[in-house]
Amino acid sequence: MAKARALDRRRKSVKNIRKITRTMELIATARFKKAMDRSVASRDYTLRLAKILENIAAASAGGADGSEGGAALGFSHPLLEVRPTKRTAVLVLTGNRGLCGGYNSNIVRQAQAILGQWRSEKVGVHTSVSGKRGISALKFRGVDIDERYLQFEDKPEFDQVAPIGRSYLEAYAAGEIDRLDVVYTRFDSIARQAAVTEMLLPLKPPEAPSGAAREAAAKAAAAGLASDDYDFYPSAQSILEEILPASFMARLFKCFLDSAVSEQVARMVAMKAASENAGGLIKDLSRRYNRARQSQITGEIMEILGGVEALKK
Amino acid sequence: MAETKRGGETGVRCVITTPESTVLDTRAEFISVPLFDGQRGIGRGHAPFVGRLGVGEVRITGEQGGATGGLRRTFIEGGFVEVGHDEVTIITQRSIPAEKLDAAAARSDLEKLKAAPSRGDEAITARMRNEEAARALLRAAERKG
Repeated sequence: MAKARALDRRRKSVKNIRKITRTMELIATARFKKAMDRSVASRDYTLRLAKILENIAAASAGGADGSEGGAALGFSHPLLEVRPTKRTAVLVLTGNRGLCGGYNSNIVRQAQAILGQWRSEKVGVHTSVSGKRGISALKFRGVDIDERYLQFEDKPEFDQVAPIGRSYLEAYAAGEIDRLDVVYTRFDSIARQAAVTEMLLPLKPPEAPSGAAREAAAKAAAAGLASDDYDFYPSAQSILEEILPASFMARLFKCFLDSAVSEQVARMVAMKAASENAGGLIKDLSRRYNRARQSQITGEIMEILGGVEALKK
Repeated sequence: MAETKRGGETGVRCVITTPESTVLDTRAEFISVPLFDGQRGIGRGHAPFVGRLGVGEVRITGEQGGATGGLRRTFIEGGFVEVGHDEVTIITQRSIPAEKLDAAAARSDLEKLKAAPSRGDEAITARMRNEEAARALLRAAERKG
């Protein structure tokens, strides 16, 4: 009897675990949807910023003789300047909680790679880590963490991210850092997220419109179709100077949003796998339990029969 | 002629977007935006331009289907405005509807800024900028009452 009872106890505990993982999966699904909506809503801002940049670039391409055009294409800005890296900053975005498969460990591995690379090049690194999991994992691996953030859950807010972004911009402008890399989980699609290292500072210069787009714009202008001759107040250069920090902020914010979405997806997938695995275990345990019980009954019958035979003699 | 464009739609489309979401998407008769050097009004058929915004109020008049009695006021903090084809897009880092502004909090923030010491050219310009923003917020909040 002992064996059957032990099997039954195990089956019960696995059933309880399945209940928990199933609930976590449902919660992660709901949170993922919310996080996804936020991420989609924020895309509009970036698109519109890009559109203004495009307008500036198009204006400068169209009016090649204009003085403003030259200023827009040949502009320089401290944020675009690539300097030799003497001191760099790394921002690592992980989750505050576990039970989400390889989400945190992938980031930690990625972060260690870049930190190791800077160490081997003897470059000073200012390390900031967001998320309990990343902080403890990196501390365990002997990484000195200069800045810790724990306030980011599944709904990072722009007002929370902005001070961090501003401090990086200030440090960059003051020459305290020459580069900023962010290690985070990029969300490509619901089936694909990748731990990546992305360089946010110096900013990549805004792209001038491609040849085809420029031609189309020129054609439209020639046909008098578009009144796309934008005026700039106070000037294209001044707007660019303001737009660059704004687009840096937007990109940094996107990293946080992507991380939040990816974490929920990772948890969803991990919990789904756990629930399914628990289901398999329960099936297996049930089968073993039934077999044990049956063999026990058979044994008892055999004993009775044996007893009856003995009495007959 | 312009009135009959786009299936008879009138007015100007106005969109306010922040890094978190698109806060407002509506059509209105007239929009006044705080450019870096002062308020500027935009009506239908305005010439396209891109401008840098200061801190202040966006005033939207004659909103279609608006329940706010024809005038909607939103406080914004910097950013850009893009005007083109009867569409006004305001891109800003922060936007607060006028109803949610708190005059008392704005005043105490301004007092705090005034009291804080600042040394060096950069600190002083930053402080002046912050003070100006705080004053604009206070003005907007007080206008509400």
